[in-house]
Amino acid sequence: MELYDTATVLARVLVSGVIMSIEKSDRELPALERLLTKQTARTAAVLVNSRTAAIHAALAGQGFGYGDEVSLPGTDEPTRAFVGWLGMGVGGQGPAAFDDISLSASNADELGTLARRSTAPALVVDLTELGFGPAAALLTDDLGCASRAERLKIFGSQDLRTMWTQQEAEPELVPGVQFNYRLSPLVAACVRMSLTRAGRPAADHGPHVVNQGVTA
Amino acid sequence: MITDFPTAPLAPPATAETTAELAAFGGSPMIPKALRRTVFPVITKEDLFGLLLAQRNAPEDVVGGFAEAYREYVGASHAIPTASGTSSLQLALVGAGIQPGDEVIVPAFTFIATAQAVIAAKAIPVFVDIDPRTYCLDPQAAGAAITERTRAIMPVHVHGLPADIPALRALCQRHGLALVEDASHAHSARIGDTVAGALGDAAGQSLMADKNFPVGGEGGMAFFASADAHHRAEDYLRRHGIDYRMSWIAAAFGASQLQRLPYYDMVRARNAELLGEALTETGFFQPPYVPSGHVHAYNMYRVTLVPSAIGVDDLPIHAVKSAVHQLLVAEGVPAREWQNTPIPCHLPFKHRTGFGAGYPFSLNPRAVRDHRPEDFPATARMLESTLVLCRELRAPVEYERLLRYAQAFAKVARRPDAIRKLATDGTFPRPYETVARLG
Repeated sequence: MELYDTATVLARVLVSGVIMSIEKSDRELPALERLLTKQTARTAAVLVNSRTAAIHAALAGQGFGYGDEVSLPGTDEPTRAFVGWLGMGVGGQGPAAFDDISLSASNADELGTLARRSTAPALVVDLTELGFGPAAALLTDDLGCASRAERLKIFGSQDLRTMWTQQEAEPELVPGVQFNYRLSPLVAACVRMSLTRAGRPAADHGPHVVNQGVTA
Repeated sequence: MITDFPTAPLAPPATAETTAELAAFGGSPMIPKALRRTVFPVITKEDLFGLLLAQRNAPEDVVGGFAEAYREYVGASHAIPTASGTSSLQLALVGAGIQPGDEVIVPAFTFIATAQAVIAAKAIPVFVDIDPRTYCLDPQAAGAAITERTRAIMPVHVHGLPADIPALRALCQRHGLALVEDASHAHSARIGDTVAGALGDAAGQSLMADKNFPVGGEGGMAFFASADAHHRAEDYLRRHGIDYRMSWIAAAFGASQLQRLPYYDMVRARNAELLGEALTETGFFQPPYVPSGHVHAYNMYRVTLVPSAIGVDDLPIHAVKSAVHQLLVAEGVPAREWQNTPIPCHLPFKHRTGFGAGYPFSLNPRAVRDHRPEDFPATARMLESTLVLCRELRAPVEYERLLRYAQAFAKVARRPDAIRKLATDGTFPRPYETVARLG
C-alpha cells in the first residue's frame, strides 16, 4: 500500500464503488485480514465492528456459552459486565480464555510484539482508538474457533461475500444466537492504512500525520 | 477504474424484440449480458466531500449530527444510531420494555435478523403467518398468538410496505402490548403522513449500504416514541458494557445521502408504477399490493404469479415459478427468490440453543414450538409463487433499463408453451424443501 492519508483512502474506496461488506468484489476486508494475520503471525482473522463483538466472537468461537465460567485474570469491569450479559461468569482460575490488545496511534507499530507475548488461544485486538469508529478483530490459530466466530457475526454464514446464497455444510457450527457484527470496508481500509503507516520506518512517513483531523 | 456508468447506454426496447424468441431458447436477451450491471449505492462528489469534511470534526458530533437529521426526517421523538440494523432492533425491544423470557410476536416471513434481535433481547420470538396480499404480519394471526407472557408485537414493513399498523395498534392497546416496528426495508415508507420508524412505540432500522437509504457501510438506527424508552435502551448499553456505536465514516456518508433520499424515492416510485402497469397488463404477473393510504418504499419488489391467467394453473405453482425464473434470468432480469424457507424452520429456531444451554428459550418453554412450513400457509404459498427484484428497483435505474425489464416480463408471459415445457421437463422441489438460505 502506498503512503496514503485518510482522505485519499476514503476517496479510493468510494471511487471503487464497493462500500458494502457483503459485496462479492470487496477487497478491503480481506486485505485487512491478511495484514493482521501477517503482523500477529496467527492463522485466521475475524473482523468485527467493536471490541465487545470480538470478545463475544472469541468466547463463542471456543464454544463458551450461557452458564459457562471463563477465566479472565485481571479483566476490567466493563469486560466483566459484557461477559455477564452473555450469561457467563468470570473466574480467575487457569489461563485466560483470550488476550486483549488495544491499538492506538501510539502503539500501532507494536502489534507484532504484543501478539508474540500473547499465549491465549484467542487474541482480541481493539482497533477503535485508531480513530475510524468501533472496530476490532479476533486472531486465532484455531480454525474451528474462527469458523464459529465468522458465523456468529453474520447470521450463521461462513463467508460474507456469499451470505445470501450459501448452503450450510456444517450445521453443527451454526450459532443459536446470531448477530450482525460486520465491519464496514471503508473503516477497514482506513485501519489498514493506519497499521501500514505505523509499521514503516519513520523516514518513510509522508508529511501528514495519520487521522490528524479526527481528534482535532 | 470502475465508473458510475454502464459500459454502453441501453436503447429503449423495439417492438420486434418483445415478440422475438425467448433468450432461454436461443433468442436475444432483453438486456445484453455486458450491460446487466446495476450501480448501487449511487456515490457522488457530495458523499466524498462530506466524508473529507467529517474528518475535521469530533466523531461523536458527526454521528450525533447524522442521527439528529435522520430522526427529524423520520419524525420519531428519539433515536440511537447503531452499528447495524440488528442491534437497532434489539435496542428498540429493550427500550419498549421487553424483559428476558417475554414473548414477542413476529412474522414467519422476514429476514432472520428480526427474530435474532428478539433472542438478543433474551426474549422468545413467537412466529405467526403473513397476510396473503401484503406479505406483512397478519393482525388476526397475531391476535390468536397472544398469551399472558406476550409483551410486544413486532411487525416488519416487508420490502418497504408498511404493515397494517392501525389493526396492530388496536390489538396492542387492547392487550397492553408494545408495538415495535422492524423498518429495515421501509425508509421513507408512510401511512398517511407518518413515516415508518415513527409508527410504533419503538422501531429498528437497518441503514446498511444495500438499503434504499445507505450509510457508508454498516449501520442502523433505533427510534423511540418516549424519553423513557430511549433512556431504557441507553442505560442497557451502559450497564452491560455493550458497544453498538456507529462509525463516523458510516454516518458522514449517510448525512450526504439523506439529502438525496427524496429524489431517489421519487425515481423508485416512478419505476415501480411503470413496471406495475406493465405487469398488470400481462395478467400473469401481479405487482406488489399497496393498500390505500400506504406509501411503499420498494426496497424490494415482489412479483406474484397468476398461472390461471395464461392457462398453466394445472401445473404445480412452484414449478411454474421455477420455469419463469429461468426464463427471466435468461432475458437479463436478475429475479430472485429472496428467501426460500419460513424463518422458524431455519436452524437456530429448530435447534434453539440461543446463547447456550437453550437460553433464553429455557425461560419460557411453553412459548416454544417445533414448526413446519405448512404451519404458515400464506408464507409457504408466497414462497412458492413469487419472485423478487432487489437492487434493480432499489437503484434509480435508467428509464431504458426499466422499459426492458417490463418488456422482458411481457415477453415471458406471452409464452405459456415455454413455461409449460420447462415446468414439466424439470424436477422442482418446493422452495422450503431445499436448504434454507438467508436470501
